[in-house]
Amino acid sequence: MDVRDVHHSYRRHAVLRGVDLRLRPGTLAGIVGENGAGKSTLLKILSGELAPDRGSVRHYGRFGYCPQSVVLDDSFTVRQHVDFFRTAFGLADLRRAREVMEVLAFTEYLDMRVGLLSGGSRQKLNLTLALMHDPDVLLLDEPYQGFDWETYLRFWELATELRDTGRSVLVVSHLAYDLDRLDQLWRLEGGRLHRQERRTGAAA
Amino acid sequence: MRRHWSLFTTASRYALVGHTRNRFAMLLVVVYIPLWIALACMTIPGGPAPFRLRATGEILSPPGNHLTQITGALNAVTLIAGFMMFVATFTGGAFDRRLTMAGYPRYHLVLAKLSALTLVCAAVAVYATAAVGLAWPTRQPLVLTAALFFAAMTYGALGVVLGSVLRREVEGMFAILMISILDSALQNPLSSSGSDSALVCFLPTYGAVQASMSAAFSGASAAQGLAIQSLWLVGTASAGFLVFRRRTRNALPPQRTPPVPAPSGPGTAGGAHGTAPPVGYGPSAESVQRR
Repeated sequence: MDVRDVHHSYRRHAVLRGVDLRLRPGTLAGIVGENGAGKSTLLKILSGELAPDRGSVRHYGRFGYCPQSVVLDDSFTVRQHVDFFRTAFGLADLRRAREVMEVLAFTEYLDMRVGLLSGGSRQKLNLTLALMHDPDVLLLDEPYQGFDWETYLRFWELATELRDTGRSVLVVSHLAYDLDRLDQLWRLEGGRLHRQERRTGAAA
Repeated sequence: MRRHWSLFTTASRYALVGHTRNRFAMLLVVVYIPLWIALACMTIPGGPAPFRLRATGEILSPPGNHLTQITGALNAVTLIAGFMMFVATFTGGAFDRRLTMAGYPRYHLVLAKLSALTLVCAAVAVYATAAVGLAWPTRQPLVLTAALFFAAMTYGALGVVLGSVLRREVEGMFAILMISILDSALQNPLSSSGSDSALVCFLPTYGAVQASMSAAFSGASAAQGLAIQSLWLVGTASAGFLVFRRRTRNALPPQRTPPVPAPSGPGTAGGAHGTAPPVGYGPSAESVQRR
């Protein structure tokens, strides 16, 4: 991921004032920021939902995005979701999707309608859809929201494994725990990213 | 070609699954249409209700209850199709966007949605024609089915537009209802003398009303009415496609330019763990905007 001099304003209100970010392969990084710091705008720009007023965003390789609010269709089952996205990604098989689902321990819900799943299970599927095509660059927006402690730990194992296999992973959160798991941490403040020292605990 | 077919059939299958799981709409189709037609037959007087059909200039004088059944059937199929497509578009907007961001081609998704809408509208139109046919024999049942079909398709496409541009579900419901009330009430010879006004020619189901009246009560050709309704359908479907395209646009157009590895320096996260894969082997995406 290569983000250069990204600016964005809503009318006269400047939200992003020159964001620079370069994520090399094999990096697990995080961005934290308070409410209203511009995280949502930055995420929209990084994911391609919004074009920046100025600057550029590049993702080299396959790109995966896990949105904060689960984006699923309640009328489909888990299996139907995975099948639909297999076609979208043009995948020959569901090997990677099955692996992710096994790590997140929710393979038993395959034939259940998504509308009947708990919040945590919906988030697991949300994450699976972002990972099933084995992306090189991964953008995760509050990815562990609704997870129980065990799943939370599994998520970090998964993120670490992705980093170790050369993927670029960027976790965006208003509150990031376990910062020692990250290789790099930035705080979004005043419309710019500021490097943070990593320390064990939480940052707001 | 095989990939295109697979994309189209998969999206069509799931579009249909989505519609069939809209239980309330299914209930409306099964119960509301025959109930409305039966109630109109029983409660509206059967005395002659003369009116001039604008399309042919013919003076028709059908029984009032039969006339109400036809306008009611049109009203029912349009509301149901509009409601179904509005709900599907409104609730599925973010999901469609996610699919297109994942690489699902928008043309295949739109074609699939159109195919599903066509199947649903055809089934509803046949069902409504059969329900009317049980009460009394219409003069041209196939043409009546076609008129109901085109009207339903038009409102279905209108539902897509409203589902894309409105922010709240209740706004869409009211918008469809209000448009339908204006559309049907202004054209109904029983409830408004305005049906003789030139203004009615511009209403969304004008063509379908003209064609269905010809089909139900006269042997005259309904081609002009169907043609006008087809124009409305093309217009609303095009508007639906444009708003869908705008809503699912991606500011990261796919590029295949080989990337240059980013140099280390301020703001650069170096890969401290694992082995870096060769970059630039897959599709990359870029979003650039300059003032």
